[in-house]
Amino acid sequence: MKIGITTTVPVEIIYAAGHVPVDLNNIFITHNRPESLVEQAELAGYPRNVCAWIKGIYSTVLENKDIRTIIAVTQGDCSNTHALMETLELAGVTVIPFAYPFDRDADLLRLQMDKLMDRLGTDWTAVQRTKKYLDEVRSRVWEIDIMTWRDNLVSGWDNHLFQVNCSDFQGDPAKFAREADAFIKAQRQKEPDRQSIRLGYIGVPPIMDDLYDYLEERGARVVFNETQRQFTMPYGVDDLVEQYRLYTYPYGIFYRLKDILVELERRKLDGIIHYAQSFCYRQIEDLIVRQKINIPVLTLEGDKPNRLDARTKMRLDSFVEMLR
Amino acid sequence: MVWCGIDLGSRNVKVALLNNDGVRYYKFDTIKFYREHGRLVNGKLQVDLESLLSVEEQIDTVVSTGYGRQTVNLAGARAIPEIKAHVLGAAYATGLTDFTLLDLGGQDSKVALVSGGRMVDFQTNDKCAASTGRYLENMADVLGISTEELSRYHENPVELTSTCAIFGETELIGRVVEGYSTASLAAGVNYTIFKRIRPMLQKLLSPVIVFTGGVAANTALRKIIRRELAVEVRVPPAPQYAGALGCCLAARREGENRG
Repeated sequence: MKIGITTTVPVEIIYAAGHVPVDLNNIFITHNRPESLVEQAELAGYPRNVCAWIKGIYSTVLENKDIRTIIAVTQGDCSNTHALMETLELAGVTVIPFAYPFDRDADLLRLQMDKLMDRLGTDWTAVQRTKKYLDEVRSRVWEIDIMTWRDNLVSGWDNHLFQVNCSDFQGDPAKFAREADAFIKAQRQKEPDRQSIRLGYIGVPPIMDDLYDYLEERGARVVFNETQRQFTMPYGVDDLVEQYRLYTYPYGIFYRLKDILVELERRKLDGIIHYAQSFCYRQIEDLIVRQKINIPVLTLEGDKPNRLDARTKMRLDSFVEMLR
Repeated sequence: MVWCGIDLGSRNVKVALLNNDGVRYYKFDTIKFYREHGRLVNGKLQVDLESLLSVEEQIDTVVSTGYGRQTVNLAGARAIPEIKAHVLGAAYATGLTDFTLLDLGGQDSKVALVSGGRMVDFQTNDKCAASTGRYLENMADVLGISTEELSRYHENPVELTSTCAIFGETELIGRVVEGYSTASLAAGVNYTIFKRIRPMLQKLLSPVIVFTGGVAANTALRKIIRRELAVEVRVPPAPQYAGALGCCLAARREGENRG
């Protein structure tokens, strides 16, 4: 069966149990009119001043009748997810909670995984086998990332897209691997871009889809997508618990910053865009980001799924101009 | 040789013309400017500047900026980012190379830190325009006074807490009912603007603030900033035209580079 996920979870367990994971964020944002899903949730009673991702996921689940079970991340994402779970339960959806321990405790994380395996009906042997296979698929995307920042052959948008799809491998890892292979082959023929200003993008993936192209038209390329890269489990460790302990996204800003600062050096970034969703608690963490990062930071706020608005464009223009 | 800078603002279109004799400024209501002087040709806004400004010489280079530049592509003009235009204009008008720029316009609040003549960081309002000229106009309307009158008061401000410029009107009406003097109410309105821009200013503070944009005409706000932040506040001549002037300077540089 299809199992919806609200953010990245140990997807190895879902595949090992013979189910198909569906990242609800991706279904929502690739809808032909994602803003209509947000409106639908507001009509149902979701407040206007709540993150559009949560509202979009809510309507996505209600619209996709083939997704009747979801795994919701209750610790390590945001507390809005709790109310999302409750409102979906009210609509008759089965909700399986999953919690990343706040302090990255290995025992607690293993326990969460054990429980998920029990619930879905699989075991460590099958999960390890699946992990090995998925790591082979992931290795293609790791290469795409290297081709982005080292070889300068891949655009920020393609980097974003391939990495962000590693949360569920679009429900078909083999097909996804073939697409990645074809993409790598095609990009190898391209002329490297050594001219552009090198930007890092940190925070949750953007809700507007024209950001990367807009920047590239102005001579700036994103060569580091922080959270999207995390979805690819970039550290290549054998142990599954360790893999999801190293995964930074659920574990607070200081742990994330360690990874960001290493990549900032390695990828020789000129500036960083810190994206925060309107009404998200992560907007508060911007003040920490600004204190800890010693290159120019532009904070972007996105609300509804849409194209970039005039004001955001003006701010991006000024930022790129400043870095030139 | 004449160089032209155009700042397509939300309330006014400001035009600056620069030649060897000096600079001249023109101001048009934004809606009128688009309706009466512009027409769309191949998706670009065509404006006959020479006849509009009645200049005899031919204009050498046109550079534009402003909110409008995202929605309107002015034919024959190169567009530069707004903050850059304001920094250029402010630096030229004051002769300073190290300062904090504060530009408050019709819908915009911008703060930029300029060091050695280069912008090194900036902040702008986003998603909300409750700290801008339009807010002052609305509140002056509620009080039944002009914006000039409003800008005289900074003592004994009433507390206004609303974060929304529209709900702020209701709150202000409530204070009127409570019997506060116009002076106190006006001071409260001016203080509200300061409270809104303070976090941005504090992050990018330097000993001199160069204050531009239409709101720079508000003398009460200048006094409040000076008093609360203990900094020097400089308002260049024609502060509303800093962006247009910056565009002129960019146009001149472009013209010179071309040869």
